[in-house]
Amino acid sequence: MRIVHYVNQFYAGLGGEDSAGIGARVLKGTVGPGRLLAQLLGAEHDIVATLVCGDDHAASHTTAAPELLKMAQAAGADLLVAGPAFGSGRYGLACARLAAVAQAAGLPALAAMHPDNPGISEAGDAPVIAAGATAREMRPSVQRLAAAVTKLAAGEALTAADGRVIQAARVGQLVEQRAAARAVELVLRRLGGDREATEVPVGGFGVVDPAAPVDKAASVTVALVTEGAVVPAGNPDRLESARASRWLRYPVEGADTLASGAWESVDGGFATTAANADPNRLLPLDAARALEREGAIGRLHGEFLTTVGNGTPVATARRFGVEWAAQLRKAGVQAAILTAT
Amino acid sequence: MPALRRMVHEIHSVKIGAATGYERHHLVVGQDQVQALFADPALASVRVHVAAPGDRVRIIAPLDVVEPRAKGAGSAGGVFPGWLAPVNRPRGGDTHVLRGAAVLAAGQLPRNQEGLIDMSGPAAERSPFARTNNVVVEFDRVEHASWQEAEVAVRRGLLRLAVHLANAAVGAPPDVIEELAPPHQPGTPTSGLPRVGVITNLQTQGAFKDVFVYGRSMAGSLPTLFDPVEIEDGAVVSGQYGHPALRNPTYLHQNHPVIAELRARDGQDLCFAGVVLCPEPVEQADKELVSTHAAWLCRAAGFDAVIVTKEGAGNADNDLMFKVDALEALGLTAVALYAEMSGADGTGPPLVAGPRRGAVISTGNYDQRVKLPSCDRAMGGSQLRIADADATAAVEIPTAAILSALSPLGAGWLTCRPEQQLGVA
Repeated sequence: MRIVHYVNQFYAGLGGEDSAGIGARVLKGTVGPGRLLAQLLGAEHDIVATLVCGDDHAASHTTAAPELLKMAQAAGADLLVAGPAFGSGRYGLACARLAAVAQAAGLPALAAMHPDNPGISEAGDAPVIAAGATAREMRPSVQRLAAAVTKLAAGEALTAADGRVIQAARVGQLVEQRAAARAVELVLRRLGGDREATEVPVGGFGVVDPAAPVDKAASVTVALVTEGAVVPAGNPDRLESARASRWLRYPVEGADTLASGAWESVDGGFATTAANADPNRLLPLDAARALEREGAIGRLHGEFLTTVGNGTPVATARRFGVEWAAQLRKAGVQAAILTAT
Repeated sequence: MPALRRMVHEIHSVKIGAATGYERHHLVVGQDQVQALFADPALASVRVHVAAPGDRVRIIAPLDVVEPRAKGAGSAGGVFPGWLAPVNRPRGGDTHVLRGAAVLAAGQLPRNQEGLIDMSGPAAERSPFARTNNVVVEFDRVEHASWQEAEVAVRRGLLRLAVHLANAAVGAPPDVIEELAPPHQPGTPTSGLPRVGVITNLQTQGAFKDVFVYGRSMAGSLPTLFDPVEIEDGAVVSGQYGHPALRNPTYLHQNHPVIAELRARDGQDLCFAGVVLCPEPVEQADKELVSTHAAWLCRAAGFDAVIVTKEGAGNADNDLMFKVDALEALGLTAVALYAEMSGADGTGPPLVAGPRRGAVISTGNYDQRVKLPSCDRAMGGSQLRIADADATAAVEIPTAAILSALSPLGAGWLTCRPEQQLGVA
């Protein structure tokens, strides 16, 4: 079977974060983890080409995945394999999106990443094989991926036993007993010794390690970003007031302040009266400009990113985070101030 | 602590008429009296309608909901202390309850996240307020009045109307008399039964996002042990219009579901130990402070286990998380009521913020979409903005928009269960 393999710029040996902005390209044969994959797959399967794209480019351009798919088709792929992306958000998003468009276009595809990778919800109908959290687990991750490729190539379905990540949907349903009565039952079960009883699993919240402080604030570009739904007055792009499905960007180049009446918050989750009287208190453009003038920061980025956090699902918010990071990195931003409500 | 008797009058139908009256399960709402009760410099006009369970009626942008209650002739004091009655008055006694009736306001307010009640169909199965005979008040603000003034006028009007309607039944024989004993006192024998209490967090985020205790915002307060008899009599009144499905209207405080379920099993497999009310502050340090203090208070009051409730989402989820963790750290058994926010397909992480220990009851998925059929008549507005549709149209909406469908006080019947989705590659 002719296999096309996707990796990011780092695993292709084209550079680290400095090369994350490069566009889609195709390399002959195997590169990096593709070599191990080819070795494990044996003679029956042939990795005919490796596709590469920079993480920032892939995560911030919706055209990247279709472009890569065309390259895979041109290389005569029977099967597309993406990753393993481990826990890397941008890389995971790129793998998942490529696998999704390939699968939808009739090219069987498989992505590999850690089950907590924010990209996982973007894989569409393509199967995702679990990988470790970091590249330290490269060998077992690629071994599992190779076994899955072999099975898929033989026309067999992949299951959880193959390491396939099954996103178990939690389905809402009406039940006989109201929630308050079930809460009392649950208390009594727990008091009776069943300490594991719960309707929703508890724990499992990841801790976000803060990035290292910027070395010299006076020499970096700083961006303002917000989940407080700051938009031009009248909300011309119709940002949702709750349950965001997207995020927006607006230029502030040359502006010293967000004038009241010209900007507003459409957030449905907090009292916007004070914020609308002075939108700078939600997105501190005036203060940031003052810092820029004083030389306390190098430069303020020419646009801000905005969405609404109110009621937005965690999976969506994690994806926005990955996309924002890619967008800002690509623009040369080294630090961001995220205002939340 | 005083005891209370509910003198329950079962309401089977409500009509609008010339004068308010009550006779054998039937309530008439006096048109002119409603006008007089809502008379306020901030309100230009009010209109009153009725909506009964099963009607093909949609109530758009419902605001607060109140159960008609009033004190009996033999009982001093009054209901809604801090609003319509003094706080310093005799507690307990007889409270007449028009069970099966509710008064509610409907219409746009600046921070009213638009929701709906359908009186029939799938949304009706999900909202406790599709099961009550609803007296619905629409209102128009006087142009020069502020929205805050209009909101206070509507809230006072609703409370007055609730008392006015219940007063009509005070002379009639009740259908049921329910005796509510005070909570079990700490230090007295329990025959080995666990002492289970409840912490109810009240939202405290300023205008249109506030809940009142004795007429005052709880913002800035420490958690306090509270007399459940006073909650029955309307000491907790809602002025909170966020997330419709996650809202706790006054009606649900008057009929606090967790207190009701604890009372239902009191003396059988648990002792109802009491109620703690707590604000939901907006700053992290304050959240930690009130949570630590609430946990200490529960232990000091001798609780063995606590059910913790919230109002709202996100911010409020952190309050639950801190409390459950603080309670469990002190050795108390804790259970919290959360709504899940796992996306429309239910595959995302279910909780925005969740405890590290303890247990969680699911009140349903905020994001799950529900298809609603068209209806014959709408109240509260002519447009359903969240669906960009005519108010009576067939629409698809998230569960988040159905009033109290995901009730954090446990008044709803939704939950979520995992369903294995084995897509074949």
